[in-house]
Amino acid sequence: MYRYDEFDQHFVDQRVAQFRDQTQRYIDGTLSHADFLHLRLRNGLYIQRLAPMLRIAVPYGTLASRQLRMLAHIARYYDKGYGHLSTRQNMQFNWPDLAEVPDILADLATVQMHAIQTSGNCIRNVTADQFAGVAADEVVDGRPYCELIRQWSTAHPEFNWLPRKFKIAINGSASDRAAIDVHDIGLEARRDANGAIVFDVKVGGGLGRTPVIGSLIRESLPDVHLLTYLEAILRVYNRYGRRDNKHKARIKILVRAMSPEVFRQHVEAEWFHSKDGPTTLTREEIDRTVAAFAPPPYLPLESDSSLAAARLAEPEFSRWVHTNVAPHKQPGYAIVTLSTKVTGVPPGDVTDVQMDAVADWADEFGFGEIRISHEQNFVLPDVRERDLLELWKLARSQRLASANLGKLTDIICCPGGDYCSLANAKSIPIAEAIQQRFEDVDYLYDLGDISLNISGCMNACGHHHVGHIGILGVDKKGEEWYQISLGGNAGRDSSLAEIVGPSFSRGAVPDVIDQILEVYVAHREEDERFLDCYRRIGIDPFKERIYADAH
Amino acid sequence: MPTLIKGGRVVSDDWTLQEEIADGAIRPHTIVPASYVLAHAELFGEAQDVGIWIPGDGEPGEIATLLPKVALVAIRFPTMNDGRGLSLAVLLRTRFAFTGELRAIGEVHEDVLNYMHRCGIDSYQLPDGHDPKVALAAMNSLTDFYQGSVVDPRPAFRRIARGAK
Repeated sequence: MYRYDEFDQHFVDQRVAQFRDQTQRYIDGTLSHADFLHLRLRNGLYIQRLAPMLRIAVPYGTLASRQLRMLAHIARYYDKGYGHLSTRQNMQFNWPDLAEVPDILADLATVQMHAIQTSGNCIRNVTADQFAGVAADEVVDGRPYCELIRQWSTAHPEFNWLPRKFKIAINGSASDRAAIDVHDIGLEARRDANGAIVFDVKVGGGLGRTPVIGSLIRESLPDVHLLTYLEAILRVYNRYGRRDNKHKARIKILVRAMSPEVFRQHVEAEWFHSKDGPTTLTREEIDRTVAAFAPPPYLPLESDSSLAAARLAEPEFSRWVHTNVAPHKQPGYAIVTLSTKVTGVPPGDVTDVQMDAVADWADEFGFGEIRISHEQNFVLPDVRERDLLELWKLARSQRLASANLGKLTDIICCPGGDYCSLANAKSIPIAEAIQQRFEDVDYLYDLGDISLNISGCMNACGHHHVGHIGILGVDKKGEEWYQISLGGNAGRDSSLAEIVGPSFSRGAVPDVIDQILEVYVAHREEDERFLDCYRRIGIDPFKERIYADAH
Repeated sequence: MPTLIKGGRVVSDDWTLQEEIADGAIRPHTIVPASYVLAHAELFGEAQDVGIWIPGDGEPGEIATLLPKVALVAIRFPTMNDGRGLSLAVLLRTRFAFTGELRAIGEVHEDVLNYMHRCGIDSYQLPDGHDPKVALAAMNSLTDFYQGSVVDPRPAFRRIARGAK
């Protein structure tokens, strides 16, 4: 993992002091509410429906055990004993006291953490594959480049006051777990014919009101040019992105208005001036950063033969291994996803006790590292296969062993109308109702991989456009209704979901999901996945079933 | 009266900002709209003691011919959170090599001065109701940066030895 040097620590400490001063000026009344808004947002602080919400940066979803223990401490001491894993790999607290936020940030700084640029119209936390560095299908470890981008984007002189928020993601694996097609900039890291690391650059993807798949504007960008090229994109966006309407201010609108080709020409014209300039990365700086992510001291293990026996003895354990354990680069090791998706608990919510427990397991069974996935689960990246059974038992005792990864009940869900002041409708009760309805594990397994994503409003924090099944909360004359869409996908062959038709009341949603699944089960061929079946048969059979009563 | 900050302190302002030119005359030591000067090139002869102002979304290429003739360019920031003027400042300093005074006018907020400074702006017209003491302190609240800037184009990795001990 990357560790701060004196420079990083000094910067974060100064930033804490700066925000303490800004908060004090706001409390004194010398900094207006409207002006403080821009400053607090850039330090992760929202004013929500019930209380402030503080979003803490977990750079590219990577945490050390001591950092997670600090988050547990913050949950306990400053909050109500729990936090929320966000769909951008961050940690959110829903109940901090505004006056205490500088203290929270100071506590975070002691473990090399911060909340810088986790909201506001600036470059946000860079996200990555939650399995980066350990995935068996990885080509390039994106984390060092994420860290280089984190540093470059932090308090950038020119790009801290953009038209709108700006999200960058990097993928370096055969499968795309970082969903790079739906980011403002999506970077595909790969190796060229000579083995050198290069990036394919996609721009203008995104969800929200206008979901768009990003456009490829540059292929095979050598890694040393990464920052100058990003700077060229950001300058074009900063200067020409719309600022008159916040719903049309994302870069995707600009790229679409100019056309990807014209946008590319603008970027290339900018880059012509900065290419090979001082912002060009040096080989030494890349090497230094790569070295910070060197593999931990793995034991020379063989693939563990006792695992098969343990799986035979414990069918539930076997199921969990099947769904929640992914292959690791290193023989004898495994990647474990600890699902937060338990019926009755909002997806992504974790208690201080769970955080401490996960931190302990990371130390005991791994190398003290934890990841957060954009599907709002914890990941332990380096578990010895021989320890899987013991870890599973411990995880079960903390309700973190749901064997539902990638299944219908592994729901991605925004905080919705229960917390968020932007929401049109609640999302958490919908998730809970669906989890209750589909508790039958055998049925869930029979259904196979299905993603179900719920957003409480058009801003799409719950990524409903890229769920195989998407649910969007809408306001209909002051009542909460839900629009259902099908066929979205966030992975390698990404697609945007299609709306099935008129929306439904909250009570009707589980029945409609049931009907959708019935259509799938009736039409699927052998092991055909839900998404593949949908793509083959189209939306009509689903429409006919769902709206049959209306005809 | 707005306060002028320059060179790390409050200074008296010997320029007069003219929102528009009413009588057709361009007087010394005034900051006049660049759009007016461009439309009336005949009023603007050889090097004069004149400044121009442009909005943050202005195109630097359009005023390129004026730059060698003016002592000062002012960039107008319409709101605290509109960063277009920052990119404009960077372009004026780097691509167009403007070496005169570059001034921020309009909604100049004390907590943005630090960013403006690094983009090459070197004087700041602080609106009424903003305390210059607070502004000077805020300007120095962050002192070390990862990126290069107009002030020092070298990013941290070219400036200092990095690395955790």
